[in-house]
Amino acid sequence: MDRQAILDELKKVLVPYTENKELLGGITEDTDLLKDLKINSANLVDIIIDAESKYNIEIDFDSAEKMITVRNCIDVIAEKMNA
Amino acid sequence: MQSAGNDIIALNLIDKQRSNDSRFYSKILSESEKIYYQRTVFAKIDFTCFLWLCWSVKESAYKYLKRIHPELVFSPSKIIVQHVSVDEKNYNGNFLAEGNIYYFRSEISREFITTVVSEDEKFEHVFWGFDSIKDTSADHQSKMVRALLLKKLHTVLPGKKLNVEKAIAGYPIIIEGTKELNIPVSFAHHGRFIAYSFLLPA
Repeated sequence: MDRQAILDELKKVLVPYTENKELLGGITEDTDLLKDLKINSANLVDIIIDAESKYNIEIDFDSAEKMITVRNCIDVIAEKMNA
Repeated sequence: MQSAGNDIIALNLIDKQRSNDSRFYSKILSESEKIYYQRTVFAKIDFTCFLWLCWSVKESAYKYLKRIHPELVFSPSKIIVQHVSVDEKNYNGNFLAEGNIYYFRSEISREFITTVVSEDEKFEHVFWGFDSIKDTSADHQSKMVRALLLKKLHTVLPGKKLNVEKAIAGYPIIIEGTKELNIPVSFAHHGRFIAYSFLLPA
């Protein structure tokens, strides 16, 4: 799965936690989940759990703490999928 | 260095079933916190409440420490709640973060959990407050929590014309005219609840 394919799937993971769905249309690798998408930090663990299920991977603590921007998320997911 | 950190959790937005799934809570709690709950805390509060109390402490701690260490990355398992006690009004306790002990005070109702943290066990000169709002959009939450803070600040610093702005590093600051005041402040919002804390140095 290439980065664009991961991004397309990641958008679906983020939908339930993004209040303003229009923001997802303009998502780039620089998008910050909290600042740009206004996702509440209380949902970060939900996103990690949903991503684990979606990609059939396990995201450990050290990786999870990096998942603040879309780029970080794709890096972590790609690394785990290739592990 | 002086700082401020707080959090608020709207319990109606919490997925209780997911909260009790070990896959979920193991990303928030350290092993020592799980053991501490089983041995010590379980009679005082249910597990979901403990989990989100710990989350609110960790989130508050992160905001507090991020102001001091801007490069800090949020890692819930590295901020470790070590003690929780209950009095008639608050849940009090301490936690270990970045090699130091800090303190928290939390209020838990059926609707929310709100927490404030400090390096001072007595929370001297620390102010905090919360409120509920009707419109839960992010912009409205942000606007209302700033208004709530400024209302309180005007009672403790009467006659001053204060505003809230953002530092380049991202945390909120209090401005009088063009001058940044030495009043570390923290905001939180979740659903229909908003909360602030600030330190007013003596």
